[in-house]
Amino acid sequence: MKYAHRTFLWSIAPFTILLVGIFGAVQQSVSSTVRQGLRNSLRERQAAVASMERRAAARYSRALRAVAESAALKAGLQLVLHDGGKEARLTLEDQLKEICDSIGVDFLLISNGNGVPLAGIMRSGDRISGMDLASIETPTGEYLLHSGHIYRVTPIPVNQAGENIATLSVGERFDLSEFNAPVALLRSGRVIDANLPGFSLRELESGLRRCGRDSECEFSLRNETYLSEVLENVRFGNGYTLRSLQNVDRAVSPVQRVLRRIFVNSGLCALLAAIGLSAVSARSIVQPIAQVVAQLRNSAGSGLPPEFSACASPVREIRELMASFNDAAGAIRDGREELSRAYVEFIGSLASALDARDPYTAGHSVRVSEYSLAIARRLNLAPQQIDEIRIGALLHDIGKIGIADSVLQKPGGLTAEEFALIREHPVIGRKILEGVQGLAPYLAIVELHHENWDGSGYPYGQRGQETPLGARIVHVADAYDAMTSDRPYRRGMRREEALRALIRNAGVQFDPLVVKVFAESLGDEGDLRPRQNVSLANLARAIRGEPVAAAQEASRLS
Amino acid sequence: MSLRLQQATFFAALTAAYAAYAGEIEGAVIVHRRLTKRAITAPVSAYQRGVAVNLDADAEQDPLEFERSHVVIYVEGEFPSRPGFAVMEQRNRRFAPDLLVLPAGSQISFPNEDPIFHNVFSLSKPKSFDLGNYVKGQTRLVTFPKPGIVFVNCHLHPNMSAAIVITPNSWGARADASGRFRFSGIPPGDYTVAAWHKAAGFVRQTVRVDNRRPARIEFLIPLEESVSASYAKR
Repeated sequence: MKYAHRTFLWSIAPFTILLVGIFGAVQQSVSSTVRQGLRNSLRERQAAVASMERRAAARYSRALRAVAESAALKAGLQLVLHDGGKEARLTLEDQLKEICDSIGVDFLLISNGNGVPLAGIMRSGDRISGMDLASIETPTGEYLLHSGHIYRVTPIPVNQAGENIATLSVGERFDLSEFNAPVALLRSGRVIDANLPGFSLRELESGLRRCGRDSECEFSLRNETYLSEVLENVRFGNGYTLRSLQNVDRAVSPVQRVLRRIFVNSGLCALLAAIGLSAVSARSIVQPIAQVVAQLRNSAGSGLPPEFSACASPVREIRELMASFNDAAGAIRDGREELSRAYVEFIGSLASALDARDPYTAGHSVRVSEYSLAIARRLNLAPQQIDEIRIGALLHDIGKIGIADSVLQKPGGLTAEEFALIREHPVIGRKILEGVQGLAPYLAIVELHHENWDGSGYPYGQRGQETPLGARIVHVADAYDAMTSDRPYRRGMRREEALRALIRNAGVQFDPLVVKVFAESLGDEGDLRPRQNVSLANLARAIRGEPVAAAQEASRLS
Repeated sequence: MSLRLQQATFFAALTAAYAAYAGEIEGAVIVHRRLTKRAITAPVSAYQRGVAVNLDADAEQDPLEFERSHVVIYVEGEFPSRPGFAVMEQRNRRFAPDLLVLPAGSQISFPNEDPIFHNVFSLSKPKSFDLGNYVKGQTRLVTFPKPGIVFVNCHLHPNMSAAIVITPNSWGARADASGRFRFSGIPPGDYTVAAWHKAAGFVRQTVRVDNRRPARIEFLIPLEESVSASYAKR
């Protein structure tokens, strides 16, 4: 599962980072695009408004030209120009009042050809009153600021006989609220008026200070970004500028909100999909691999070649991997079995050859193996243990290789030294077999098959069940075969005699249970009698576990 | 001076003689509907400033009364008459009164009562004049020797307008508010009586004057189509 986690993380993490990165980048680029678009649309809108304004102003000034062509006005003007008295000015003022009332403007100023004001009237509330000419600035732009009010001014020339005798400035009150976009009116850095609701002029002024004289700038006001442009086409003259104020954040935020929603939704979906895919891939690829690795480790620990259950994984590659592992493991197992069998055969034939050195002990190992097999079967041992006992019995006297024939085949009694040499053979056998891989299970039988139940045996003097069962069984079978075999100095005991000797020594030299089982097997199976001649073929059969006795019986009968 | 006195005595005697044998014309002007077209729009500023605009309102007068009192009736034909004198003021950028009826040879004074300049003038055939610019307190005197209709305007104030009807004799007057008029001391005979309204123009009727009772005339102004056709036949 550790591999699966790591794989999952490795596949999900780059994806998440990529997704977040893409999200950030796209959001950034869209936001800047929107901002740019906003700026452009602002500029376009201003241009459109400006051209409309210009057309409207042209129409307006054409209409107003008719007013300037009024003969009465010209007569009044002439009166002022030539008379100049108070009554003349009043008359002109009165005429302007009448014009003002009839065309509904808020501001009329007539000035002579040199721009000197002659008469002016202004509407305040419902009253139209004369203007204090001393306080008025001659308008130089389209807009005029007078006594706190902004007037949009259209200058109309008054001509007579090809001579420009005066200029009639027609003004309408103008409110910044008439701009459908937020604007601020400034004069040399000071904000004079603005129509941005909720902001004081001072606040705007400090925000706009960043802009200086730039025609376009961005500034921040209460943590929101504003875009400001000088409205070039609105000419105030006299040092006034009008700036547009556009809240960029507010304009961009709907788009950003939509984007964020799209990204969060699609990102979550993609993330879920990625999690699912990663989990599936981790499960389908990594988990089987992890299992394979775990089994390999197990087998490394146990020394047994691994075996994998077929079709454990839905992934073909994994299945093939497992199958080839299985093949390899099988080959190894087979080779190892082959090897160990070859060893057993080799050692068995060695033992047999050893037996054959002395005609009296020929076939001894095979017979002991048969007796032991019979006992082990009667004891209902596991097949593997039975096999171990069978082969162990076959090899039990291999240590006698290291003992001189003169000692082994000495007729008559042995000296103490000679007997000590004989007693060496289990340890020698163990040492011989120890170096061979695959024969480890038989070492105990070879080494301990002369230990007695009461602890009087050799080489260690183990007692009772300290000695493994296999060794105890082989001990009984060995003793029985030794007793029933002829020796140069005596004839072999009869079966019953030997059995009696075994029973006598049960619990002293032998395991009583093994003796009991052996006696039973001898009683039941009459074919367990000692045989003198055992061929190599029979030996091989005995090693493979095939019934040697039955085959012999059959050959004898025929 | 003595000649003047003699002349005056002569006219008085003559008038007395006419009166001895004089008849009368009396009648009425009947106006069915408004004749003077009203301004169809109020000043733009009235609209702009949300003032309630009611173009049908007639400030001080019944509109038909106004129309009747602006009908001038006079007897055609030249008869000796005494010149008269009248005053037409310029006040609040208007002529007051805006209609005068006087026999030929009469004089009219045009005083300026406004604090501003006015420039009274006329381009009418019977008498054209231009009095120039003059200020408050000044006046100009104009004599109208020939009968006819003289329209008066101001150069400085195109909205100012007045009419002066110079009649060929003394039998001329504006109808009163109810439309009635009456001329006396007319020698018996057949006369043509004319009625004039600035907007409706002339309407004429013939009438026989005798000593026994006043001759009666009714002027229907404006003339309906059928009526004017029957008059035309006669």
